[in-house]
Amino acid sequence: MNLIRDVLDKKLIDREECDMGRVSGLLMHVSETAQPRVTHILIGGQTLWTRLHPALGRLSARIGHLWGPGRKEAVRIPWSQVETVGKNVKLDCEAKETGALDWEIWIAKHIIERIPGGGSEEEE
Amino acid sequence: MKKILQLSLGIITSVGGFLEIGSVTTAAQAGAQFGYKLLWAILLGTLCLIFLVEMSGRLAAVSKHTVVDAMRERFGFPFFFIVLIGIVLIAFMVLVAELGGIGFGLQILTGVGFPWWAVPVSLLVWLLMWKGTFSLIENGASLLGLVTISFLVSAVKLHPEWSSTARGLLPSMPDSDKARYGFLTVSILGASISPYLMYFYSSGAIEDDWDETYIPINRVIAGFGMTFGGVLSMAVLVVAALAFQPRGIQVETFPQAALMMTTALPRWGFYLFAFSMIFACFGAALEVSLAIAYFFSQGFGWNWSEDLEPSKNSRFALIYTVIILLAAIPLAFGIDPIKVTMMSMALTSATLPLAIVPFLLLMNDPIYLGKHRNGWISNTVVSIVVVISFVLALISIPLQIIGG
Repeated sequence: MNLIRDVLDKKLIDREECDMGRVSGLLMHVSETAQPRVTHILIGGQTLWTRLHPALGRLSARIGHLWGPGRKEAVRIPWSQVETVGKNVKLDCEAKETGALDWEIWIAKHIIERIPGGGSEEEE
Repeated sequence: MKKILQLSLGIITSVGGFLEIGSVTTAAQAGAQFGYKLLWAILLGTLCLIFLVEMSGRLAAVSKHTVVDAMRERFGFPFFFIVLIGIVLIAFMVLVAELGGIGFGLQILTGVGFPWWAVPVSLLVWLLMWKGTFSLIENGASLLGLVTISFLVSAVKLHPEWSSTARGLLPSMPDSDKARYGFLTVSILGASISPYLMYFYSSGAIEDDWDETYIPINRVIAGFGMTFGGVLSMAVLVVAALAFQPRGIQVETFPQAALMMTTALPRWGFYLFAFSMIFACFGAALEVSLAIAYFFSQGFGWNWSEDLEPSKNSRFALIYTVIILLAAIPLAFGIDPIKVTMMSMALTSATLPLAIVPFLLLMNDPIYLGKHRNGWISNTVVSIVVVISFVLALISIPLQIIGG
């Protein structure tokens, strides 16, 4: 597998085929005694914007503190939850529980549901 | 049977959805000032669009990726972000122009100035996006857009000289006003080859669950739909050439343009023009707003579907809500939609390489398309037209700005 070509920026879907963002970054464990290995998939604005410029990453983190769901760290998904890597990266997890949908839910609750006809995010 | 129905519907919607403020304004100005001389630019632009639309449908059918999905994955976030800024800025200008076009149509019907229409029209567009489904937007708006066929009826009724029309299909240089001619060429190319159409079309193919069996249907829809659409654009140019050029009228304002059909259709021409503009621009405004929301959502991997309730894809719904509201502001302050149209069409040409070069690379990538990747004909046609548009844009936009 080619990490940059096949994994980075790929769409993540959960057990129930729900979209949960794209792979913003990958976390590796490097030690002197063992081979480097990928441990986590990272999802989050700060990770993503830092790829463009560190200042944008800091800005994204600051906005995240002031506003929105108030998550301080990027979402980390352990590599062990990766089921398949193909068109999408399929994960064995529930999107909502990972925190990857925090913004989606926050915007639904605070903005969209308050507009008439917006529906409710929670009902199935 | 289902596919035959989809095929005819696809062609009808492409025809009904083809004209919008950009193609009407650029073709009308070209006809009024240069007669049939610029028909070739519409021909060239339409040819390129046929290939691009076919490609974006094929990409979606084979790889199940929209154009934006594939671009983000293949070229990474930093590159995607640069394309996003360019495409979204220009698509936003196009949205302002389309909303202005609806306002103009209403202005010539009611006498109430277009700035007053900005807010109600934007709210109506937004409401349809908020409550409507994808097929309502795609089919409903474009079926109403079929009223634009009245341009073709007018053109035929004016009995154009077919031999000189045919000569217009070959490029030639005018005797004077070369800078203006260049700028109009660029604007016509920009109006025909609208990248937002690729994003809209490939997202539609995903919303409708296309697979490889749709490749032939896709080819026919792109070919016939865009050809008929291009013929409608040419009809606008021919009508403007016959109605305005002999009298030396240049189409600087909308009320002037509204008279173009009255020569051919004295009783109905005025109303047909107004309704053509309202429906055509309405359809285009919906498509552009959707295309912008698709661009963000697919690029960032959010949930997106026009068929879901807004709260089920809140970020997607938030994007089009904000974009449509923002687009109403400059119009309410009275910015001239014709100027916005001409500038956004020319800028579309100037930024075509940004949208098309990565797209062509994807279309030749075996990872995405396997044996269905592009052949040399489509690569050559699209590359040549994009280079022509880009070079002409670089030369003529500064000249237009200097010349006022």
